[in-house]
Amino acid sequence: MGMFKTSEEFEKVIVGFFQLVADTPLIADKLLQSKMVIRFKYSDPDLTVVVDCAGDKALVKPHDTTTQAIVEMTMSADIAHRFWFGMVNLTKALTRKEMVAKGPIPKVLKLLPAIKPSYAMYPQYLDANGFEQYNITKAYKPPTA
Amino acid sequence: MGGYAGKILYVNLSSGVIEKKPLDMGFARKHIGGLGFGTRIYLDLIKNNPVFDALSESNPFVLMTGPLTGMKLNGVARWTVCSKSPLTGFWGDSNVGGFFGAYLKFAGYDGIVITGKAKTPSYLFINDDTVEIRNAEKYWGKDVFTVTDQLKEDLKPETKKGGQVLAIGPAGEKLIKFASLINNKGHAAGRTGMGTVWGSKMLKAVFVSGNGKIEVAQPEELDVLRAELKEIYDESIGISAIHSSGTATHMDVGIISGDIPIKNWQQTDWDEIDEIGPSMIEEKIFAGHKTCYGCGVACKKNAEVKDGPFKMEKGPGPEYETVATFGAMCLNPSIESIAKANDICNRYGMDTITCGSTIAFAIECFENGLIDEKDTEGISLTWGNSEAIVKMVEKIAKQEGFGAILGQGSQKAAEHIGGNASDFLTTVKGLEAPMHDPRSAHGYGLAYAISPRGACHEASLTFEAEGGTIFIPEIPMLSSDLPEGSDERAKLNVAAQDYGMFFSNCAVFCNLGGMPLNATQAVSLVNYVTGFDYSLNEVLEIGRRIWYLKRGLTNLFGARAEDDKLPKRLMTVMEEGPTEGSLPDMDKMLAEFYELRGFDKNGLPTKKVLEEVGLPDLAALLNNV
Repeated sequence: MGMFKTSEEFEKVIVGFFQLVADTPLIADKLLQSKMVIRFKYSDPDLTVVVDCAGDKALVKPHDTTTQAIVEMTMSADIAHRFWFGMVNLTKALTRKEMVAKGPIPKVLKLLPAIKPSYAMYPQYLDANGFEQYNITKAYKPPTA
Repeated sequence: MGGYAGKILYVNLSSGVIEKKPLDMGFARKHIGGLGFGTRIYLDLIKNNPVFDALSESNPFVLMTGPLTGMKLNGVARWTVCSKSPLTGFWGDSNVGGFFGAYLKFAGYDGIVITGKAKTPSYLFINDDTVEIRNAEKYWGKDVFTVTDQLKEDLKPETKKGGQVLAIGPAGEKLIKFASLINNKGHAAGRTGMGTVWGSKMLKAVFVSGNGKIEVAQPEELDVLRAELKEIYDESIGISAIHSSGTATHMDVGIISGDIPIKNWQQTDWDEIDEIGPSMIEEKIFAGHKTCYGCGVACKKNAEVKDGPFKMEKGPGPEYETVATFGAMCLNPSIESIAKANDICNRYGMDTITCGSTIAFAIECFENGLIDEKDTEGISLTWGNSEAIVKMVEKIAKQEGFGAILGQGSQKAAEHIGGNASDFLTTVKGLEAPMHDPRSAHGYGLAYAISPRGACHEASLTFEAEGGTIFIPEIPMLSSDLPEGSDERAKLNVAAQDYGMFFSNCAVFCNLGGMPLNATQAVSLVNYVTGFDYSLNEVLEIGRRIWYLKRGLTNLFGARAEDDKLPKRLMTVMEEGPTEGSLPDMDKMLAEFYELRGFDKNGLPTKKVLEEVGLPDLAALLNNV
């Protein structure tokens, strides 16, 4: 069992964060320039999310299985979660197939500078949206009864 | 047998005697090739008189290919050179790709051993069985590009199908301590000043042409494995990334983990880092793909700057280490100036890591008032001053003014400058550290400290294993998921040294082009080509022996425990960024490593351990030091 117990729980966290990133011009403008369409396929728990930057606005589409993606990234929800803290050794994760990518990967790697500000945003987003328990950068103490 | 060309060339530049000695297959089995051959031959040559200056005629130079060099396979074009380093005074070696190694084998030689010193500028002409020491007066003083083109043109009438040139530039002739050897204008044996050794021997170049071919002992088995590997390479994300953007792709990845040293190792982040990343390289200087012999990975890139102050014609472009040293280390956001600095280093024949690091060191000295414009002849050597950086590279290359001080490397320059200049050094054993921060991965710290040639990320496979580019499931320490910190890093280093000596030093696989290979595939490639029946255990035993040989050689040249340490700059805690608060626990890692390797408190391998690995002569030599 990973950090997230249900798909719904993970969806709330990750889709909300993707939407925040999509609404942040500093990041979204660069993503839109790339015209990239990525399908994230998560496991444990399962969830599919498409981030579509092909148009004028970055769109976040949970459960989308029809949009033609340029790149498909498959990973566990925990790896994805740690990635947004900047805690995943990307090279190692790709080498060891903890992240599996299909499509023109160099194009995805070139987006890394664009999304760099989001690593600082993620813990703040978790704290600000009632997801403190998932903020692994601080010792979380669950509320007592 | 297959793989080997079957002869080693011995050239005495003092006497002019040239000998072609058959390769003893028992020796080949025991040492595989590359630095396995090189270290053993070198030790045998110097063991009766191991005390000499690196620039004296007593210092041999050994160039060796691997059993796979010259095969049309991904990641096997590389070959090795070794000698005593003029930069550090300790053991020196370098590992390089390109085409020279393949052509040398086509000419019938697995390697060249050069001793003595020529009285006048000379070059070595090799055309199959014809081997001659020739006068190089007309080429002396010429840059690498010019001498490469001229030699090929001049010797065309004597050869059937052209040849390859390995040359030094004016930097090597002028004995700049970090001069490199360069093949095909951009494939550099850069580290530890092997070009300086050639300069001291008055050896300008080696031209080689050959018409032979390399036999394969088990071609059918090799074809099956080749087909299997094709699929693995096609699916490899690492290979896809370096094919697309070259090694500079690491600029985008390394910045996340704090791996890239910035402002002479004082920062791990910088607002302008993207200006020198792969996207800008592609947009501003990219001028086509390049490759080494027989390799489909094609991780090399050409560069061109069409106009402006850093105009340069199309030629080999800067790789990651070069982009980081002349860029991030100097807070220089001009990718065009980095391409120009790289071009100057290639033309004059200088190591870009030492050159860029030495300039970053000098900038810090300038910014702190230890030197001023009187010292630098009017150059304002400040952070981010692209024009000043390029001018200083030129001054180093020409040994003009302050450039002559920096041409000795940063450690000697710190002694000259005085004050607290040594606080700004990034050297281990006198060699400037590569562009990977041990504060982001503690195993690198130990790897730099105990590397026989000084701070080096390629002296073993620690960088690849801990950084994540390789995954070797047959060797637990090279496939386990270590927790962050310094625990288990001594064991990791030992495993990465033993396997690394086999992989990239003896078999001479490329650490980049060979990254998708597991151990079974790597050993099988060697076996199918050579006809040997190595097991993984056997190649690890060989790797271990060769590692001790290198360590023993650097010990013979004076390295001791006090030289196995990181400089203050690399051991300074970062107060923010991805490596905030992280410092390698060097005392713990070194103590564990010394125990695992059987070192005494002086950093010398014990007689017992050297005898166990089959080096009793080295044990006797070290006992006499």
